[in-house]
Amino acid sequence: MSRLVFAPRPVIALIAIFVYAAVSSVHWARQAVGSHPRVGTDEISVYERRFDRLRPALPRSGMVGYMGHPDPAAPATREMPSPALLHFRRYLLAQYTLAPLLLVENTSPEFVVGNFEAGTEPAAPPGFMRVGAFGDGVILFQRPAP
Amino acid sequence: MIVALALSFGVSTALGILLLRRIWPVEAAPLPRLLVAALGTGLGAGISGALLFPWLTLFGPTRAFPLAEACLLAVVAIARPRPAPAPPLEHRHPSAGPVRLVAPAFLVTLAAAAAAFVTMLRQEPHGGWDAWMNWNMRARMIFLGGSGWRTAFSPELPWSHPDYPVLVPSLVVRAWLYAGAATLLGPALVAATFAFGTLALLVGGLAALRRPSQGLLAGMVLLGTPFFIRHATSLYADVPLSFFFLATVVCLALDDRYGTETRRFAMLAGFAAGLAVWTKNEGQLFTLAVLGGLVLAGWRSGWPDARRRLVAFGLGLLPLLVLVVSFKVSFAPPNDLLSTLGIHRTVGRVTDPTRYAMVLRAYIVHLLSFGDNGLGGAVWPLAVCCGALGVSRPESRRPWARAVAIALVLLLAGHFMVFVSMADELARLLKSSLDRLLLQLWPSALFLGFMAARTLEEVGVPRPATEPHPSHALHS
Repeated sequence: MSRLVFAPRPVIALIAIFVYAAVSSVHWARQAVGSHPRVGTDEISVYERRFDRLRPALPRSGMVGYMGHPDPAAPATREMPSPALLHFRRYLLAQYTLAPLLLVENTSPEFVVGNFEAGTEPAAPPGFMRVGAFGDGVILFQRPAP
Repeated sequence: MIVALALSFGVSTALGILLLRRIWPVEAAPLPRLLVAALGTGLGAGISGALLFPWLTLFGPTRAFPLAEACLLAVVAIARPRPAPAPPLEHRHPSAGPVRLVAPAFLVTLAAAAAAFVTMLRQEPHGGWDAWMNWNMRARMIFLGGSGWRTAFSPELPWSHPDYPVLVPSLVVRAWLYAGAATLLGPALVAATFAFGTLALLVGGLAALRRPSQGLLAGMVLLGTPFFIRHATSLYADVPLSFFFLATVVCLALDDRYGTETRRFAMLAGFAAGLAVWTKNEGQLFTLAVLGGLVLAGWRSGWPDARRRLVAFGLGLLPLLVLVVSFKVSFAPPNDLLSTLGIHRTVGRVTDPTRYAMVLRAYIVHLLSFGDNGLGGAVWPLAVCCGALGVSRPESRRPWARAVAIALVLLLAGHFMVFVSMADELARLLKSSLDRLLLQLWPSALFLGFMAARTLEEVGVPRPATEPHPSHALHS
């Protein structure tokens, strides 16, 4: 019949690693059991769907202008502690979603994508006309042909 | 789509393993299966990603690439196999006691970490901020851009770091070329390949060069490091980079063991370092640090041997260096950190003692808390484990171990100076990037630590005793 032969040093080494790994494993197991998959309902997927109806109205490639909410120079509030960061994040998400189009934050291209709060009615940038509203604050502007 | 993605993984893995088996000096070194599989998987992915970029410049993001890659695989597969049989492994006698003790615990940890990996990926399938605004956005620009794929490197997107090397976006594009669509499973596959490839390389490397039980212990520490698994699912490039750092270190250890008869392991080390350079800009500093470590360690171990190693390392590095330089010259706008380097501002920063104090404090805090799983940082169990096992003098005195230890210190020192001299918003940058820099080094540090520590077998492991010890027999 076999029995274990113990030496203190390797036992200490094993306990140190086993305890560390066990604590992490419990954490991992809780994470795996306690959370639900959000594929398709995660923040970015939901944000991407805002632009689904806009996409066919845009050129397939090239440069497109961008203007969005909130104003990065707006003062911080309790609801919006960093307007500049939120503005930047929304711009990045729009760029990620609309790739391979190149979104630039100016009105030099022929088309300008407006990314506003739902329900707002922003004015078209000077020299542009509104092509259409695609729901949820997504608007497309175009410079009329001369 | 799943089948196509599995095929993309299978082709790059088979390519890497076959190439590795072709160049493995079987007459000099044994061929450990897990090590070759792990190294081959990562290097194969790296080779595929590196091949895609010249393909893009010649033909664009066309779906003929998978076909070309399959042809390359066929050529490698039918190349005449090397006849010489491998010498026996040094540790053919499986030390049943330690492995029987450690393996079940390792498998439980692996299962829990793998489950968490899948769960976290399904919670944030687009990955973290840097992943979608940088790596995956660039991959989309290339894959969906058709003939205009070069827009991905437009200076109009300075926030996306268009100067960054493109191994990770290339691998995502490659997966999508196989799948035929920009599926979220593509980046997930790349993340899984490198996360579990890094684990396998750590375990396999230590199993081959020390003992299997040593590899399993190191693997448990890596799997237990929450930031490793969490960050792998964020789809950033730091875990792939950590794979290539570790591959470099493992190949240097192999070179030290078998290098008198072959230069191939030192060349492989250089090649892996080159892939690190092609993954992230931090790879450049790593490569310089390794070269510095090899030179400094060479002073003690003998210059002719160091020169042989350096030349072979450089030969392996060269093809990737050519690729990186051509990318930087042809595509990349100036680096955003370097572009903040005005002479007056830099002098002002490097002469400001408060910046040194701030970075030093952050280094100490982040090092001690790295891998915190609620019980404390990973440094503590690691220190207790290695302290209890003790240092293996023959292993710790090997030139490769000295070179890698020096390289890791140089790398940390290099990053220290980058923080001091370049960062505009120092506190924010330390908070957002120091843990990631430590993560890049973590698998290599674990490999070095467990290589230098004595094994359970050397210390005297708790083991099943099947025969009574003579003294016990006398007493009974």
